[in-house]
Amino acid sequence: MRKRLAGFWLLCVLFALPALAQDRTVTGKVTSSDDGSTLPGVSIQLKGTSRGTTTDSDGNYSLPNVPANARLVFSFIGTATQEIVVGNQSTINVQLKSDASQLSEVVVTAQGIERDRRSLGYSTQDVRGDVLAQRSEPNVLNALQGKLAGVNITPSSGAPGASTNINIRGITSFNGSNQPLIVVDGVIFNNDVNRNPSTDNSLFSAQASNRLADINPESIESINVLKGPAASVLYGSRASAGAIVITTKTGRNMKGKTEVTVNSSFNVQNVYGLPPLQNDYGQGTQNNFINTSGNSWGPKFGGSLTQVTTLQGNTVPYQAYPDNVKNFYDQGSVWQNSFNIASGDERRNYILAVGNTLQKGIVPNSKFDRTNVQVGGESKLQNGLKLSSTVTYVKTAQNGTPVGNGGSAFGQITRIPRSYDLNGTPYQDAQGKSIYYSTTQNHPLWSAYNETMKSQVDRVFGNFQVGYDFAKWLNVSYRVTADTYTDRRKMSFAIGSARGPAGQIIEDMFFRSELNGDLLINAHKDNLFLEGLNANILLGNNINQRRDQNTTLSAQQLTIPGFYNVSNGSVFTASQENNTKRRLVGYYGQLSLGYQNYLFVELSGRVDQSSTLPKANNTYFYPAASVSFVPTDAFKLNSNVLSYAKVRASVARVGRDADPYLLNSVFVASSYGNNSASITFPISVGGANLPGFSPSTRIGNNNLTPEFVRSYEFGLNLGLFRNRASLDLAYFDTRSTNQIFNVSVSNSTGYDTRTTNVGALSNKGIELVLNTTPVRLQNGFKWDLVLNFTRIRNKVEEIAPGVTQSPITGGAFVGINPSIVVGQPYGVIVGTANARSPQGQYLINPNTGLFVPGIAGQVISNPNPNWTAGLTNTFSYKGLALSVLFDTRQGGQLYSFGAVDLRGQGHLAVTGIDRDQPRILPGVIEVTNADGSKTYNPNNIQLSAQNYWANLGGLASEAAVFDATVYRLRELALNYSLPASLIGKTPFGAVSIGVSGRNLWFYAPNYMADPETNTQGAGNIQGLDLNGIPNTRNYGVNLRFTF
Amino acid sequence: MKISSYKKFLLVPFLLSMGACSNYLDVNVTPNNPTEVTPPVLLPSALAGSAFANNGELNRFGSVVMNYLSGAGGSPTNYDRFNTNGADFGNQWRFDIYGGALVGYQKLIEAADKTNSKAYTGIAKIMKAYTFSMVTDIWGDVPYSQALQGEAFIQPRLDKQEDIYKGNQASGIQSLFDLVREGLADLEAPSTSKPAADDIVYGGTIDNWKRAGYTLMLKMANTISKKEPALAKTIITEVLAKNLYITSNAQDLNVKFGSSVGSTSAIWNLAVFGSFSNELILSTRFLNVLRPSATDATKTDPRLAVFYTKPSTDYVSIDNGFAGTLPTPTTTWSRYGAYVTGAQGEGPVRLITNFQRAFILAESALTLGTAGDPQALYTEGITASMKLAGITDAAIAAYLTANPNIATLTGTNEQKLEQIITQKWIAWTGNGLESWNDWRRTGYPRLTASQNAVGIDGTRPVRAAYITQEIERNPNFPNPGPQSNAKLWWDVD
Repeated sequence: MRKRLAGFWLLCVLFALPALAQDRTVTGKVTSSDDGSTLPGVSIQLKGTSRGTTTDSDGNYSLPNVPANARLVFSFIGTATQEIVVGNQSTINVQLKSDASQLSEVVVTAQGIERDRRSLGYSTQDVRGDVLAQRSEPNVLNALQGKLAGVNITPSSGAPGASTNINIRGITSFNGSNQPLIVVDGVIFNNDVNRNPSTDNSLFSAQASNRLADINPESIESINVLKGPAASVLYGSRASAGAIVITTKTGRNMKGKTEVTVNSSFNVQNVYGLPPLQNDYGQGTQNNFINTSGNSWGPKFGGSLTQVTTLQGNTVPYQAYPDNVKNFYDQGSVWQNSFNIASGDERRNYILAVGNTLQKGIVPNSKFDRTNVQVGGESKLQNGLKLSSTVTYVKTAQNGTPVGNGGSAFGQITRIPRSYDLNGTPYQDAQGKSIYYSTTQNHPLWSAYNETMKSQVDRVFGNFQVGYDFAKWLNVSYRVTADTYTDRRKMSFAIGSARGPAGQIIEDMFFRSELNGDLLINAHKDNLFLEGLNANILLGNNINQRRDQNTTLSAQQLTIPGFYNVSNGSVFTASQENNTKRRLVGYYGQLSLGYQNYLFVELSGRVDQSSTLPKANNTYFYPAASVSFVPTDAFKLNSNVLSYAKVRASVARVGRDADPYLLNSVFVASSYGNNSASITFPISVGGANLPGFSPSTRIGNNNLTPEFVRSYEFGLNLGLFRNRASLDLAYFDTRSTNQIFNVSVSNSTGYDTRTTNVGALSNKGIELVLNTTPVRLQNGFKWDLVLNFTRIRNKVEEIAPGVTQSPITGGAFVGINPSIVVGQPYGVIVGTANARSPQGQYLINPNTGLFVPGIAGQVISNPNPNWTAGLTNTFSYKGLALSVLFDTRQGGQLYSFGAVDLRGQGHLAVTGIDRDQPRILPGVIEVTNADGSKTYNPNNIQLSAQNYWANLGGLASEAAVFDATVYRLRELALNYSLPASLIGKTPFGAVSIGVSGRNLWFYAPNYMADPETNTQGAGNIQGLDLNGIPNTRNYGVNLRFTF
Repeated sequence: MKISSYKKFLLVPFLLSMGACSNYLDVNVTPNNPTEVTPPVLLPSALAGSAFANNGELNRFGSVVMNYLSGAGGSPTNYDRFNTNGADFGNQWRFDIYGGALVGYQKLIEAADKTNSKAYTGIAKIMKAYTFSMVTDIWGDVPYSQALQGEAFIQPRLDKQEDIYKGNQASGIQSLFDLVREGLADLEAPSTSKPAADDIVYGGTIDNWKRAGYTLMLKMANTISKKEPALAKTIITEVLAKNLYITSNAQDLNVKFGSSVGSTSAIWNLAVFGSFSNELILSTRFLNVLRPSATDATKTDPRLAVFYTKPSTDYVSIDNGFAGTLPTPTTTWSRYGAYVTGAQGEGPVRLITNFQRAFILAESALTLGTAGDPQALYTEGITASMKLAGITDAAIAAYLTANPNIATLTGTNEQKLEQIITQKWIAWTGNGLESWNDWRRTGYPRLTASQNAVGIDGTRPVRAAYITQEIERNPNFPNPGPQSNAKLWWDVD
């Protein structure tokens, strides 16, 4: 039963290979036993070899050089496979029986348990490794985009290694991580974006990776996404946001051979999706050239002003530089090479895999390099003992530059006057100081080279498992897994950096370690009590420990220019350390019953004991139950139209513990202020260094209890037209309660938040996956189509008594708070809304013609999409396969600083149109009549174009909110597998070459650029562009061969 | 099948896991933060908080609204056009004042009481009173008697400004004056430990803290004197009788900062050095006050060159509310000078001063009839300010002689009051909040509306609107709250 579908695919690939000269030629015809019709495209394989053929359009086949002792395996989608001994026959005609159960396949579920797909009462979706590899994309999460239903994946930018956010079935926790649990070969795999709150805040961060980026997509055999709590309950608390179960390649399916596979690909990356800019007006304001202005409200080009003097005193032509922003970016490249040796069979096998990725980013001086080495193997001894282990070492290096409002390269790139020759003049002088139009900000290129972040990750993860079959029906195994890494980061800010004019070096070390021990006892009994009732019982125990450490050595006030060692600093007060240790012990069990292969019931439960909760409340139980029923088998309903039907339902509740150390109120080293002005204790006053402590802003709580997510799911699977089309439909309803959350308290208490159990959050959603083969021609041409659709409605039902909104933990810009608000979806942005008349029109100040002051504290932006969909078309013909992925995101909003900068400063194309014409802000003027009633007259006060665009709305206003609807040609891949006739005499077993591209086209009807961006990276804060990095368009070639 | 032996095997891992449980999970004590701390680390943090609040964003507001500076961008431009709403000063309310200085004093009082360190308790109570007076003078009715108690009152009630200043026994509200008196009594009591370098105001000189406490009573009495003249007179008379108030510039309540990154005063970063520094520039109006006639250099107030920088050949300033093209380059702009910011950001931040005391006594002698000669106290105030600015005695005398219309109180009491407050305004350069109090209280100095003034009704703000976040979090706040044109209790005209 193992991976029958994968085997089928392998056969499909192999049929193209010609046979080598041997004993005899076997011919014949394959027909359907249902109606006697001939079956084209049936795979015939010589068992134990890679040789085979397929039937032609008339169902005929011919296979030369077949030895007499050989067995032929006939397989075809939707039919039962037949195996025939050749003997002395030279003509073998075969009738294949249709078999709906043939479509069933084994899927890997929680804790590595393999289940027949039809028995599952909950939703999972799997992705084969070959749709992730060779897709011009080094981050596996990005390669999954658009391919999964119910899953929202958002990259933060086109910077190399920038993190990618993933949420499955919406947001279920106010405060905890909403990223799914990642499991790689049984190893709980850390996917954090390690943030140091003191150096990496929401306004100014270097876009570190999510650590799943340490996985080489080439090494992945398959990914199974466990979507709901019912699917992931055995993983415990941490999988309440779902789980991504990744299985890497092994030597298990090598059928005794040794195979070497080499992959090589090269891609180029270019910036794309930049907003259109005007080229008619240059630097300045009010139609005057001003050489220090960041605006393009200067005189029109082609007038009397032909030459201007820069701030540095140079005389330069006054003209447009249409590509001054675009040319800031480099052409990036991605070189990916991998090599693996796999050998063995199901009993004994090994794999050695080496992968290397070298990425040069579009941002000058940025890169993402990764080297993976994996060794794994398993051995099943004669005495029934099974040992397996895999260990992977990863080295990842990322270079980047911080993004963020104001003093960063990307805070400036939206403020480049159209007449400023950004790339044509030197960006620094002989002393290394920035040359720019502003004296307080820096040239973006200077920032890219002088404000840097480097990350060096060394990571080892692996597992060791020993299992023993005590009896045919009883297996006991123990699995130890470990995942540990250090991320050594160095941020350097040269003297003169806008954010730290005195210079700063931050040595930031993150250490993460997780150990798991799992005991698994598996008992299986067929025909228990009655014929056809099969039972499986699993009992397990998990011991878990996680240790995190972050130590920061901050050296400020540098002396020697260009010397980036902490010894060059004179103030070290921003140094810190943070350590956490948490432990968990879990006991879990699962009873699975299957009756006659059409009715399945599964009951699961888990008890966790967590170190992070108060002793009295630290043990908690949660159950799950699911049912799956196949009426087409139970009632023998299957026909040529309806081949297969399954209905399923599940209910589950999953508990989740707290973060460490939330129980007590503590004191912290004091600091005041923000990026405009700040002090940090210890301070140095009159030669004395003074430590200072103050109460933490959070009130602890020694009565915390676990939080829970309850979910219902109903699903339907249909196989239609002899399984040529299959539909998987799911409806889910989750409700999270008892959330452990730092609830806002009145600041006059002396505190900002208190930790407590509060609130309720609900998600309701529909997922649909449709697989069809609309065209399958006799000549071998095939068109496969996969459509997925997701619609999720998330709602904050309640927070705490008297609390209707509360900001989400994480840094925020004053007045733009990603928040939870009762009655709204999670993560809406609370800011200042324009004041409106009772009819909803904007109110205008009668004296100025500008908007009257706005009303703070309003929901102004909702980042959650209305629905998303992805459509993959695969066209295959002989060795040629073309796959095209379109996806769309409908609705959801983006809050963009960049757009407001470009618009308010007159750079955007639209601001160059009819600039000499007066404009009127949309709105009404309130007039109070003699009797006290109010009349609202249309605004008729004219403004200049500059006043109009600059006052349409600033950074902290609803005018910075845009609809993020986008349609995209996400991915295109064309692969050609060389026919065996060409490579038959070479040592190669298979050779394929291909071209692929990503982000080739997009259309965003209501936004001036690509709205797929989030400067905050992976995490609970989404939908903000606080001056981030644009996306990239990638395309390139790849080559794969085996021998 | 030897099932029985298998069973033993099975038990082993279970036993291992069970046995380990008893203390395996006892790892939830944080190694990152202390749960108790001592007075010497609480005191500097709280003192710096009061100063940071007074000197930071609220000083950008105060300095612009009181025309020491003009807004050249960002929030100061808004303030200069009289726009302020509940989105402003959130960080000050949340993290500098209630969540910084005030809760710091509260914890300091608790920690010091445990060890009977009365010197710390006394300082904490005086500074708590000072900081609460700042809060109520900005926002009016604010949480006071129920504030700073964490979970005991997660939504503290608002106490009326009148009750905060005068106390209200029925409601259990202690007056700020009584809080200061309590602090002064603690300073008289024996103390097991005393501050030293951790006292970034007086370096541990308790006598100066007593003087600061009594002078704070003068300041608060002065603040409510228009509304409660009798009470103000009683308190000022009480302080005069005690005769232990600030009488020299060396006794000023100055919070000292440092010159290194992370130790500098807020206004240094906001007005001189940091990334927001180009949002503030010298006000042309104030320049014209200190230099009545640009052609007559002899009339120049000698403090001008101390209060402001002049990097170019002449002072570069803009008018308040100016919306035109800013002077370039920004390196030529006149900004607050080292007197205000310190040469490298050291400050000090002046919270209660000798010149302030002299002007208060001059005013109360004039309007309330308290002891002292208004003219002598007025001259003392000008002289103290000049000396504080480093002006020589000779230059002070020359200035007073050359400007008799400034040096001599003349005309009606109201005209004399205008002279006193106008000079107090000049002396307070660098601390906008203090002169904003005086302007709201007396209407002096006479200020004309900024260019492009908007505000609620085109007038200069007379209070700050309640913080939006606080209104959302605490239903005891009126919603919508009073806007920036609604007068405070003590602001009678």
